[in-house]
Amino acid sequence: MLDAQITAAILGIGLAGAIFYLVRRDHLHGPFAAWWLMVAAATLVLGMFPALVVWLGMLTGINYAPVLPIIIGLSMVLLRLLKLDIDRSRQERQMRRLTQKLAILEQEIEHLRRERQPGAESDRNRRDER
Amino acid sequence: MAEVVAGVRRTLGCGVLVVDDASTDGTASAARAAGAEVLMLPIGLGAWGASQAGIRYALRNGYRGVISLDADGQHLPASLPDLFIAHQREHANVVIGTCIERLSLPKRIAWQYLRLLTGLRLRDFTSGLRLYDVQAMRMLAAPEASLLDFQDVGVLMLLASKGMRIVETPTVMQERKEGHSRVFASWAMVARYMFHTTILCISRLDLGNRSSRPTSAGAEP
Repeated sequence: MLDAQITAAILGIGLAGAIFYLVRRDHLHGPFAAWWLMVAAATLVLGMFPALVVWLGMLTGINYAPVLPIIIGLSMVLLRLLKLDIDRSRQERQMRRLTQKLAILEQEIEHLRRERQPGAESDRNRRDER
Repeated sequence: MAEVVAGVRRTLGCGVLVVDDASTDGTASAARAAGAEVLMLPIGLGAWGASQAGIRYALRNGYRGVISLDADGQHLPASLPDLFIAHQREHANVVIGTCIERLSLPKRIAWQYLRLLTGLRLRDFTSGLRLYDVQAMRMLAAPEASLLDFQDVGVLMLLASKGMRIVETPTVMQERKEGHSRVFASWAMVARYMFHTTILCISRLDLGNRSSRPTSAGAEP
């Protein structure tokens, strides 16, 4: 049987180790690593010092203190998910605009290419009509 | 579609741009053969994303106005001059070509609901037959219009909130020759569309705007 404190310490240290490994291998972008390291630190601290949880429970008026880390954890997950969707929306906007710009530039290249070729007279006439 | 391109060129004698929304059916070459310029989107962006690409192209090339119409043959090139007439007569920034006879009962119910929700006094929200002037084009080319998924309510609300004058003009439309409505394909799609549109409307709700402007059109810019 493991002590709860040791379990928490293993979890926290394991998570921190995994984050550093991922950053090192270039699988995780810097700012994301900071968030996950904070999570690892919180796991470590709350697990190593259970008295902190009890104290926090009294502070927030939650009688059954052990549920507190679960609530905090869930809220953090929700926040993180929301942030993820916000980022995804931003990226979607950028992706759409890039796609449009790519098509426009491609058309311009095509147009220039046709104009440079001899016998593209009809194209030039159509441009003049504008 | 070649017919549509040729019809528009015959009627208006203007430049024609076809936006190919990542299709695989040879749209681009058919359109080029018919004498249109073609934008080929490498990733499918949907009806509005494709329209916005066209508007951005037009702005970049110095056009002062655009008319959008569906390439499936339901919008008749012969009806395009009506849009110009309405544009001149009403001093409108946006003209929508509406076909009233076309509206089925579910559509009419949906439009009534959207009229209530948006405060826009329009009869047909999804008609793809539209004229935009250069002011409307600038607003629609902006990044804030890039996350809209449908060309109808969101686009019209954005324009109305910026004080653009939107009018409708009755036009004759044909049954689609190819394809079908993207929105009214099935009841599940309609429900999804209405749900998304409702969220959009509620999040953009501007009470002051609604009460001070009884018509769909904003103040003259």
